[in-house]
Amino acid sequence: MIASGSAAAAQARPTAAGVFFYGAGLHKRFGGVQAVRDISLSIPRGGVFAIIGPNGAGKSTLLNLMSGLYQPDAGRMIFDGVDLVGLPAHKRVRLGLARTFQKLRLFKQLSVLGNVIAASHIHHDIPAWQYVVHGAAFGRDHRRCRAQAIKLLDFVGLEGRASVHAASLAYGEQRMLELARALATSPRLLMLDEPAAGLNAAEVERLLERIRLLREHGMTIVVVEHNMDLVMEISDRVLVMDYGQHLFEGTPAEVQANPSVIAAYLGATT
Amino acid sequence: MSSEGRPALPVLTNRVRISRRGWFLVAAAIIALLPFVIQDSYWRTNLIVCAINIMLAIGLDFILGYAGQLNLGHSAFYGIGAYASTLLIMKLGVPFWMAFVLGMVLSSMSGMALSIFAVRLRGHYLAIASLGFAVIVHQVLLNWISLTQGPLGIYAIKPPPDIALPGLPIISFGSTANMFYLVASFAFLFYLLLDQLVRSPIGETLTAIREDEISASSFGINCTAWKVFAFGIGSALAGAAGAFYASFVGTLVPDAFIITESFTILAMVIVGGMGTLIGPVWGAILLTMLPELLRGFGDLRLVFYGAALTLVVLFMPGGIVQAAQIFRARLGRLATATDAGMRR
Repeated sequence: MIASGSAAAAQARPTAAGVFFYGAGLHKRFGGVQAVRDISLSIPRGGVFAIIGPNGAGKSTLLNLMSGLYQPDAGRMIFDGVDLVGLPAHKRVRLGLARTFQKLRLFKQLSVLGNVIAASHIHHDIPAWQYVVHGAAFGRDHRRCRAQAIKLLDFVGLEGRASVHAASLAYGEQRMLELARALATSPRLLMLDEPAAGLNAAEVERLLERIRLLREHGMTIVVVEHNMDLVMEISDRVLVMDYGQHLFEGTPAEVQANPSVIAAYLGATT
Repeated sequence: MSSEGRPALPVLTNRVRISRRGWFLVAAAIIALLPFVIQDSYWRTNLIVCAINIMLAIGLDFILGYAGQLNLGHSAFYGIGAYASTLLIMKLGVPFWMAFVLGMVLSSMSGMALSIFAVRLRGHYLAIASLGFAVIVHQVLLNWISLTQGPLGIYAIKPPPDIALPGLPIISFGSTANMFYLVASFAFLFYLLLDQLVRSPIGETLTAIREDEISASSFGINCTAWKVFAFGIGSALAGAAGAFYASFVGTLVPDAFIITESFTILAMVIVGGMGTLIGPVWGAILLTMLPELLRGFGDLRLVFYGAALTLVVLFMPGGIVQAAQIFRARLGRLATATDAGMRR
């Protein structure tokens, strides 16, 4: 996975000004609520890009627009030179976009390994009839997929839990499985929706270590997060949202020093 | 208990473990022997009906138990297969086996069409839509009299043509034993096919869709396409079952494919154990044979039948398969306990 991640980064097409993911004028309305209002963002290749903001700021909606779960009411999105608007979620995965969910969405009736295998769906490349006859090519494909899945479980620290039902994992382990599944798609842009929610300090530390490792290997990571310490520690750039709108964008240090950000978080009026 | 104690365990847990191929051989042997054991034509008829019901149940299980699509239109696919193959033979003179394949294809296409139209529907909504489809198909069979002869039905449908292999006696399907071999072989073949599919990554893909479509799509799974696929396969098997039903029974009336038939098939899947392939086989056998075995009780049998169904759903939601697992686990524990006692 690590190897394929860096290989993918190396073969990626060059984009103007090094922008990897570009969004402009994004709008999304749910009934009377304008969840995302005129958001523009440019995510450079490599590094960690954080999206923060108070509850209901539209962070998760923005992530859902990026991953294709929702389509925007207006605006453009370009990922590595490919126009994303109108493309459903499952097609975006093949371009190299992957995500995790804030509210865990594991396949509870499958084993831990089965979850990762289900998530490696796009990597099978054998003719359809092989699924019926289970020939040599099927065996190779199956072993390769399994080995890859076990490597990923190893990476997130779940190697000993492969055959356990996903539902019987502890909460922290479930979060790590969610990460392993997203990595199983071999993403170039990994979107994490509140990956540290509900984790204890030791688990957050382990998560941070994994995110750093991924970044070192050239993966671009977008993190939507509530945990400020985590954001400040790993982010290269931070986008602050409030009431669905762009409030500020800058380095973690700039964000911490910005009076409008502080006001939004403390609820004071500027 | 410690792992080093395992090989020493006596009788009960030291049972011979039969491999998957071994089980298939056992099943093939049972199919081969059954017509010899059961000579009575009434019970042979039940065996054939049983094999047809197994096809229907595993097909529905593929759609419902694996892909998680609450399909109540299975009786319609069954009826389309039966009527399409029969009409192709009787009106157009198409040879039986070609009509059989075309019946499967038509049935499969209607299943795929239904799932495409119902693509945004899931759960209860899909159940209602598929139920509606079953009602429509039944009404069409009933009222398109110029084609189906409506409630009068179609009579004198011939059994599948004899098979004459060089050097072997002619195999005639006028005999219930041969007809049983034919239908049971196909049921067996379909079982093998589905077993291969669900043990491949397709099994994980379908389960993923059943568990959480949003999550599945975020791993690149095209949920619509895979649901259409599941419907296509499941309804093709129902079509085959229909073609065999028509050629075996010899008469076709629309009421054989009324919506209650969907619920009977659904009951087979649930009683056997949804989401396992062997469960619906047991469910089909039980729910085909139980009403026949209870015939001695007269009208009371329906009460027994209904009570048995209710009890299963109440106390064994995982069906026969789950009950067997619990029983095996208890047996294992019992064996371990007696083993420990003996050593002391």
